[in-house]
Amino acid sequence: MALEEFRADAMRCTRCSYCKWIPFDLVKSWEFSKGCPSVDYNNFHSYSGGGRLITMLSLMDGRSEVNDRVVDIAYKCQLCGNCDITCKVCRYDMNVLDALREFRRTLNEQGQVPVAYPGIIAKLRESGNMIGAPQQRRASWADGLGLKQLGVDGVDKAEVVFHAGCRYSFDPSLRSAVRAAATVLTKAGCDFALDGAEGCCGGKAYDMGYRDDFAAVAKANLERWAAAGVKKVVTPCATCYYTFKRLYPEVGSTIEVLHTVECADRRIKDGSLKLTRPVPVTVTYHDPCHLGRQGEPHVPWDGKEVKIYGQAVVYDPPRPRYIGAYGVYDPPRDVLEAIPGLELVEMERSREAAWCCGAGGSVREAYPEFNAWTAGKRIEEAGSTGAEILATACPGCEKNFAEAVSASGTKMKVLDVLELVEQAL
Amino acid sequence: MALPQEAYQALEDIVGAENVSNDAAVLDSYAFQWLADLVRPNLSHYMPRPVAVVMPGSTEEVQAIVRLANKYKVKVKPHGTGWYHWAAPIYDDRDSLQLDMRRMNKIEIDEKNGIAIVEPYVIHAQMHAEAIKRGWSCTIIGAGCSCSVIAAACAYSGIGPGTFWMGGQAENVLGMEWVAPNGEIVRSGSLGSGDGWFCSEGPGPSVRGIMRGSLGARGGLGVYTKCAVKLVHWPGSTDWPVQGTIPAYRLPLDETFRAYTLAVPSWEAWADAYYKIYDNEIGYIFHRQFNLAGADLAPTFWLMYNDHTKTLGDVPDMIKQPGMAELTEEMRISFQLVMAGRSVADIELQDKVLDRILEEVGGWKVERYCEKDMAEFTNIYLNRLGHKHINFVWVGGYIGSWMQPGTPDWVKEYVPTAIAGLERDAKDGLLVQCGGDAMMGTGGAYPGGGVMGLEQFVSYDPNDEASTRAGIKHMEDAVTDAASIGYPPGKEALYLEMGHSDDRTFKKWANAKQPFAFIFQRKIKEHFDPNDLGDRMYNYIPEEYEPAKKA
Repeated sequence: MALEEFRADAMRCTRCSYCKWIPFDLVKSWEFSKGCPSVDYNNFHSYSGGGRLITMLSLMDGRSEVNDRVVDIAYKCQLCGNCDITCKVCRYDMNVLDALREFRRTLNEQGQVPVAYPGIIAKLRESGNMIGAPQQRRASWADGLGLKQLGVDGVDKAEVVFHAGCRYSFDPSLRSAVRAAATVLTKAGCDFALDGAEGCCGGKAYDMGYRDDFAAVAKANLERWAAAGVKKVVTPCATCYYTFKRLYPEVGSTIEVLHTVECADRRIKDGSLKLTRPVPVTVTYHDPCHLGRQGEPHVPWDGKEVKIYGQAVVYDPPRPRYIGAYGVYDPPRDVLEAIPGLELVEMERSREAAWCCGAGGSVREAYPEFNAWTAGKRIEEAGSTGAEILATACPGCEKNFAEAVSASGTKMKVLDVLELVEQAL
Repeated sequence: MALPQEAYQALEDIVGAENVSNDAAVLDSYAFQWLADLVRPNLSHYMPRPVAVVMPGSTEEVQAIVRLANKYKVKVKPHGTGWYHWAAPIYDDRDSLQLDMRRMNKIEIDEKNGIAIVEPYVIHAQMHAEAIKRGWSCTIIGAGCSCSVIAAACAYSGIGPGTFWMGGQAENVLGMEWVAPNGEIVRSGSLGSGDGWFCSEGPGPSVRGIMRGSLGARGGLGVYTKCAVKLVHWPGSTDWPVQGTIPAYRLPLDETFRAYTLAVPSWEAWADAYYKIYDNEIGYIFHRQFNLAGADLAPTFWLMYNDHTKTLGDVPDMIKQPGMAELTEEMRISFQLVMAGRSVADIELQDKVLDRILEEVGGWKVERYCEKDMAEFTNIYLNRLGHKHINFVWVGGYIGSWMQPGTPDWVKEYVPTAIAGLERDAKDGLLVQCGGDAMMGTGGAYPGGGVMGLEQFVSYDPNDEASTRAGIKHMEDAVTDAASIGYPPGKEALYLEMGHSDDRTFKKWANAKQPFAFIFQRKIKEHFDPNDLGDRMYNYIPEEYEPAKKA
């Protein structure tokens, strides 16, 4: 797509600023009413969903030119999708998040990216991951767990592959979470193999606007899985989950995608995973953007805008409407509530209205101060619930929160949902 | 046009470099405005671009900015949330600073006295939420809970669906703090005597009538930096237990609440029902809300909206389903009423009174819309007003025409003309054809009712030149239609005026039946705005336009 394809979205923006807040019906306080970290941190209207649409329109109209400020506007955003769903509370003809991604792709093609980006993408191209870690160390997180691995010890076929993702594979501070996920699935009787040649999902490259790099890693992953007979991918990483589930279908994937909390939830409900040991703690759950409001299933669409009743805009065939209604909200909560002794308390902004952890959209890499500020706001909200533990289901969120907790000096612990499940086994 | 470098540097010194910008792309995000395309040359979506946008963080910073603007003779245009074309600068040939007030966003609730004290970027949703959890509620203006409380209380009309019982924000405003265009900080009402926020008229000086009047100065005369507004009793749950799925959330009805969609057989019966509801003092929120989608489509539209698996494209099929034609006719002249009792006995009495009123006027409850799902949706919609931008749902462009406030008997007389006008103007398909009656309106423009208005909701496509031109023509037609039946121009005239020159507007005001008000306001402006930092959103006529001077 080209930027011009979003001209109608921009022209039809009413500058109502709904995109800056959580859905208004859900507002329960002054403090936790805001929904867009970008505009809350940067303040100028240009840093909101609608403001970015206008910035794009201004560029298309030749009224302004790409400069450092425009690059900042485009990329200093987590792509958390709050603007997209709040806009759609009242609109059926807007796709703000798609427009923001196209804005980045367009600038990227012009070589206009944040300073940090070239180094990150170079690591992906050289090492197969954006961390720049040696590929041969990728599966070392699973040492001692006795897991099957494609390409190792004669294992060349697997119906289900466990995709750990780059953060879990290489970040030692997240090791207990990924090991807990694998352990829980094993105890639940799930039959899966690690992918010995696991590659980056490419989701981050997509968000950064490097579409060719995304396509290349997606192709490699899909070809390798096809050769191994993989029908299903299970991942503990919300970003990988989103990428496989929502983005890979655009390049032809039909593979089934599950998050590990969904697997655990199913196994608890069918009785094959029993949680018996009490874990008497108070927990609040953070919905990762990529698992929650952006975790809806992909619906293919190739159609056009048509008008009914004179001027009302509809689509032929009907266009999928991603509104955050079908995200993965209940499985992690059901899993937590199945743990004996555990009390789950909700933050005011939860489910589709969850405040982003700060890391999304490559903000963590490109704008560390903004990233830390965003995470800190969420820690404050989690603290307001009285919870001792902030649980989540994404390594990006977990890493960010752990650092924010450390910086704030609070006593809250940050854990993956399945680390708590492991304690209850 | 550009701000002198030393002036820009001075702005940075006042608010910090991170809070001021003259970048073209940033400025365009302020110049772009809803309704601009209807009044600007070549259907441009942009109002005049400000020379800089500044975000003050305190009253003192606002004062320093205004003093600087006086020094450099630069106009000052503040906005709260920045929605409407008059939130932007209006002059192409004068430099303007845009003040985005979003950094001033604090709220304080005086729980004991039922008062909220707000800065400019506190929106109604925030104030409502903070009030609810303390057992209070508040008026939310018709434009919705996304709007600034100060904008409604100090700078614009300020009425809404709750005005009937809760008052309008123009009336609810108490103490106010204002940085006048001359740089003076004015504190009005009890605030001016150092006695707190509790009263708009004193002890202490009251300049409420100067600061806001009836319509409000819409950013044309200085900057409101803080105000207090009255809260009202909330007899419902204080934990706001929202349920349902996006986009149609629901608020369960407490046993002391009711949320009805009511219908009547004629506009005569409609006016009678209004009077009787006022006279009997029932009702908490009173609004003709759902009809904004047009009487031909609204009954189907809202059922579609409440099914999150459906989209606008499902409306044509849904409307053909059995029973929908009958429902559409049943709801043709309908409105919503939320009732709140102070006890179960109270709400039961209100119910009996309502039933009697309906019997007397031949009205009825619309059964489908009074079922649990739609009643709970109605309850949250009208209490929070978080869906108001469904105004734009059909295609993104919306014009409010008519809306002349008056008694129900007076309003009902213009309804047929407004309906016929929209049917005529939408006939060629350049406006959304949702039925000629897309009239929505509040049950009370003043507390207690008695005065109300109905606004015709006209939808056009801002991405389509022919449709946009049809929208402009409709506004011009509405002015003519109103004149043809002896009514003054409606809301569309306010919109259109933004595209007129000062000369044209001042001549019009000079020919008003009582131009002295505009002359009086000039004298106020001469005192508070000697360097003409404001704009004609504060209505006045210059001396050379005065009728006597012309003679």
